[in-house]
Amino acid sequence: MSIEKTEELILNMGPQHPSMHGLFRMVVHLAGETVTNIEPKIGYLHRGMEKLAESRTYSQFIPYTDRLDYLASPHNNWAYVQTVEKLMGVEIPERAEYLRVIFGELARIASHQVCIASTALDMAGWSAWSYAFRDRERICDMYEMTAGSRLTVNIMRIGGMSAEPPEEFWPALQSFLDDTPEMLEEYYGIFFGNEIAMGRLKNVGILTKEMAENLSITGPVLRASGVDYDVRKAEPYSIYDRFDFDVPVRTGCDSYDRTIIRMDEIVESIKIIKQAVRDIPGGPIMAKVPKVIKPPVGEVYHRVENPKGELGFYIVSDGTTKPTRLRIRPATFINLQMLPIVAKGWKIQDVVAIFATLDAVLGEVDK
Amino acid sequence: MENKVLSRYVNELASRVNGVVEESFGVLVLKVQATYIIEALTGAKSFPDVPCDFLHDLCGVDSGDHIEVVYQLSSLHGPQLMRVKATMDRENPVIDSVTRIWEGANYLEREAYDMFGIKFKGHPNLKRIYMWDDFEGYPLRKDYVTEPIEVRNVVRTRIEGE
Repeated sequence: MSIEKTEELILNMGPQHPSMHGLFRMVVHLAGETVTNIEPKIGYLHRGMEKLAESRTYSQFIPYTDRLDYLASPHNNWAYVQTVEKLMGVEIPERAEYLRVIFGELARIASHQVCIASTALDMAGWSAWSYAFRDRERICDMYEMTAGSRLTVNIMRIGGMSAEPPEEFWPALQSFLDDTPEMLEEYYGIFFGNEIAMGRLKNVGILTKEMAENLSITGPVLRASGVDYDVRKAEPYSIYDRFDFDVPVRTGCDSYDRTIIRMDEIVESIKIIKQAVRDIPGGPIMAKVPKVIKPPVGEVYHRVENPKGELGFYIVSDGTTKPTRLRIRPATFINLQMLPIVAKGWKIQDVVAIFATLDAVLGEVDK
Repeated sequence: MENKVLSRYVNELASRVNGVVEESFGVLVLKVQATYIIEALTGAKSFPDVPCDFLHDLCGVDSGDHIEVVYQLSSLHGPQLMRVKATMDRENPVIDSVTRIWEGANYLEREAYDMFGIKFKGHPNLKRIYMWDDFEGYPLRKDYVTEPIEVRNVVRTRIEGE
C-alpha cells in the first residue's frame, strides 16, 4: 500500500483579487489547507510619493497626501500640513483647529465603517457591507458639501482650512450624530451578532502584546493586543487635550478584537465631534501665511493617529521652496509585517479574514 | 523633567559611542558613525526609567556628501522621543541590520535598501520591496537621473490612425 503524502502547494493570491483591498499580492505556501508561509509582495501601486515631493513645492504636495490612505484623506492632509506648520512655526486659528478635528473624526468613522464592511464582505457577508456603506455615504456627502469631492477631499491648507462648511453642513452633521446609536446597533446585530462571522474571527490570528511591540505595530491593531497607546493621548497634537474621550483597549489579541475595537472607536469619535460642535468658535479659518512657503533650514518629525495607525512625516528642509527629503511613515505598511507571522498555521480562508482585520489600504502601503 | 533625565542618558550614551547630540524641535538627535549603530540603539532601548524601546520609523536620507539612516525612537510606556542618525560613506553604504533588536525593522530596511542602496548586514531577506528585482539604480538618491519629461511624452504620443 502506498503512503499518501501531501506536496506543498504554492498559491498566488492577487494582485487582482476581490479580497486584497487594492493591489496586494501574496504567495501562500500551503500544506493541504493549512498555511505554512506567506510572502507578501507589494509595490503594484507604488507611485514614488517621496520622490515626487522633492520636485513639488510644499503646497503642491497636499493633494498627493490624499492618495495615501484614500479612505481617510482629511487625516493625511492633517498630518502633512501640521508637519509643515511645525517647521514654519505657524499658529492656526481656533476655528480651523475645530474644523480639522470634526473632519478628522468623521474620516475616522468613515474609515472604520469601511473596515467593518470589508471584513464582513471578505467573509461573504454582503448585507453587513451594504449597511456600513450606506452610512458612510452620508459622511461622503458632508465632504462634498464642503470641499466638492467625496473621496480625496484635499480640505486642509498650510495655515488652516480650504473652505468654510456651508449652512446645510451643520444640520446634516447633527442628524448623522443623532442616527449613529441606531447605526451601531444595526452593525452589532447583523455582523457582530452573526454566529458564523464570529466563529471565523474569535480566537483566530493571535497577535500577542510582545509581538506587536516588537513589530512596531500601531493603531487599533496594537490596542486590540492590549496596549493602551494613542498619540492623541500620549502626545496630544492639535487641540485633542481639550476633549474628554477614552482610548478603547481590548485584550483578546484576535481578529474579533481587531474588528470590534473599531466600533468602540466610532463611539469615541462621536463623543469628540459632539464636543467640537458644541465649542466651535467663530472667526477666520486661515492664518496669515506667506504666499510662497519657505520653511527655515531644519528637520522635523511629526506623527498623528490615523484611523489605521500612526502616520508620520519627516521633512528635511534646506530653506528653499521644495523639501530636500520628505519621508512618509506609512502605518499599514509596517502593520502588514504581522501577516506572515500571525497567519501561519491557520487555514487559507482565515488568511483572508486576518488580512481584512488589518485594514490595509494599498495606497498607503505602496506610497 | 522627563526630558532632563533623557538628556542626561543620551549624553552619556553619546560619549560611549563617539556621537554628537543636537536638539531639533524638542527632540534629542544623536549622530553616530554607522559602525556604532547597534551599540547606540541597544543603549537607547535600555535607558533606565525612560527607555526608547519602540522603533517608530527607519528611513534613509541622502544629504549630498554622505548617506544617513534615521531611526525615530519612542516608547509605548512614556512620552520620550529620540532620533538616532547613522552616517555612512556614500560610495559603499553598509550598516548593521537592527532586525535582531526589532523585528519590525524588516520592511523598513528593505525599503531603505530599495531606495538608497544601503546594505544592511545580517538582514534575513534583503531584497527590493517596491521596485522590481532587476530595477537599476536607487531612486531617492540625489544623483539618480530621472527620465526627462520629453522622453515620457514621446512614449505617450500615439501614431495617427493607431
